[in-house]
Amino acid sequence: MATNDQTLVKVENLVKYFPVEGGLFSRVRGQIHAVDDISFEIQQGKSLGLVGESGCGKTTTGKLMVRLYQPTSGTIKIRTAEGTLEDIAFRRGKALKAFRRRVQMIFQDPYESLNPRRTVFDTVAEPLAVQGIGTLIEREEKVADLLALVGLTPPDTFMFRFPHELSGGQRQRVAIARALIVDPVFIAADEPTSMLDVSIRIGVMQLMADLADRFGVSYLYITHDLAVARYMCQDVAVMYLGKMVEKAETEELLAHPLHPYTKALLAATPVPDPRLRRDIINIKGGISKPVDPPPQCRFYERCPIADEFCKNNVHPPLEDKGGGHFVACYKV
Amino acid sequence: MSEPLLRVENLTMHYTTRAGDVKAVDDVSFTLAQGDSLGLVGESGCGKTSVALTLLRLMPDNAKILRGKVWLGDTELLSLPYEEMRKIRWNRISMIFQAAMNSLNPVYRVGDQIIEALNTHIGVMSIDQARQRVAELFELVGLDPALMDRYPHEFSGGMRQRAVIAMALSCNPDLIIADEPTTALDVIVQDRVLRQLEEVQAKLGMSMIYISHDIAVIAEVSNRIGVMYAGQMAEIADSIEIFERPLHPYTFALMGSFPSIKGKKHALEPLPGEPPNLISPPSGCRFHPRCSRATEQCKNEVPIFRDYGNNHFAACWHPLEV
Repeated sequence: MATNDQTLVKVENLVKYFPVEGGLFSRVRGQIHAVDDISFEIQQGKSLGLVGESGCGKTTTGKLMVRLYQPTSGTIKIRTAEGTLEDIAFRRGKALKAFRRRVQMIFQDPYESLNPRRTVFDTVAEPLAVQGIGTLIEREEKVADLLALVGLTPPDTFMFRFPHELSGGQRQRVAIARALIVDPVFIAADEPTSMLDVSIRIGVMQLMADLADRFGVSYLYITHDLAVARYMCQDVAVMYLGKMVEKAETEELLAHPLHPYTKALLAATPVPDPRLRRDIINIKGGISKPVDPPPQCRFYERCPIADEFCKNNVHPPLEDKGGGHFVACYKV
Repeated sequence: MSEPLLRVENLTMHYTTRAGDVKAVDDVSFTLAQGDSLGLVGESGCGKTSVALTLLRLMPDNAKILRGKVWLGDTELLSLPYEEMRKIRWNRISMIFQAAMNSLNPVYRVGDQIIEALNTHIGVMSIDQARQRVAELFELVGLDPALMDRYPHEFSGGMRQRAVIAMALSCNPDLIIADEPTTALDVIVQDRVLRQLEEVQAKLGMSMIYISHDIAVIAEVSNRIGVMYAGQMAEIADSIEIFERPLHPYTFALMGSFPSIKGKKHALEPLPGEPPNLISPPSGCRFHPRCSRATEQCKNEVPIFRDYGNNHFAACWHPLEV
């Protein structure tokens, strides 16, 4: 995918290491390669799903995108209101705060992410206060509009409630309203529906999809559930131990997975239909922590098709195998 | 069909709270045949875990059983003296709790914890016998018996879950109740643990009750499915039957709201509203405020849990496709 004027986000060679401390005087004993040299682009109004097992670096990627973490190296370019792509990877202070009008985050657990002592109005209006937008009356109007938009109607009855008076689905709607209030162009959504009950989940997913269409917001939609990604994202990227191992248009990835890890992930996903039987998966062992991993392919230890070449070469590059289907594997 | 292993009749259980009685389980009836696996599916707070706890009489202190009988073979469990009930647990029914992998004691070796369960419930045996039994159990759940002297922190989540399953199997129970056995696990590990459970169940001919909010997991491991809503059993039937011919509108909605990676991408239908508060549940059919087929009758009269043939039961005044 070539960069063009529709490119909203362009990430290049993004790296985030966390030091592992221990022993006497908390010496640094190693580095967890949480995100290890990933690159991707998101087009305006499109959403990218980021899937993988716990510990694969998908949440770290999300937090880097909104700069809750500072990367170890790499660039994160976001299109500004003026239309230029600017690197925000190492921004600080005022320049960082200004950028936060463009990007927001929705967290996984709506029971943790809302301050229990603040009313819905306080929570949703906070980004406006931080950014110094509008007068109190204007803020109230804007909050009321947004609450109506996310389905908390009539807004007056919700404005001054506290989180404990809301259900899980309602709380997540409040979190969505808070993210949208500064009119961002990009939202990193970290498992926004995984804590919600099935009957509530679809409503929140549809709301997010609908808002994306209406306001041209793009999501980086982080999920462990490929089935959810299928309904939320045009493209999906699969992460494994800090690396992006496959990326393609969603239906293409589900129909023709190329990387052995993606194949295993698909085969292991339960299907809500007792008439369908899944393939037996044949990968070994469990996922480990990427502390100072060896240079070869990250999946080498568990891979059913790895050979000497994989062992003796560095982690394969993410290459286009045709039609925008990217895979990082020597054997494909 | 042979005599069922488990027969639950009109089970009704409430929790007393300061705000009023929570009507958590309301008139639930079902049977489970020897060797069958029943999946109980429903949203959080629908009473599926409460049913399981009531079967084992492990409810918290504020719970009271108002009505109902639980027959395990020809023993009625709810009227059993406390000491007798203790003998039923583990020996005849054991339970794998939600996030059970975190229930292992971190300062004891995994194998020793299983031996403790054996000693408590079967009686003291020699250390060699006990270790022999633990080795068998480890093999049964796909763990290397050499690992029995390790501590829980040396195990991964999936391995700990297997160890807990081995513990549940240790006394050769007739029935295992698994409450969200794989919810905290990653998909690939979940797949392994579920397959292992299925395999062990087939080998030992036990019965299982799986409890999950995830209809996809339930569809994979159960040959019978019970759908619960707001403390009541809405519908129960054989797995394929219930997927092909759901009768209760809630079952239909639940299946329609579950995204799948297989098949055509169908439009997902959200269900309006939210599950009710069980302190003051809706009158008549508890699902009526959210149901598109609801009529005056549904508001006023509790639907009868009826047999629709083919071992398919549902509680609805206006079932689909009849």
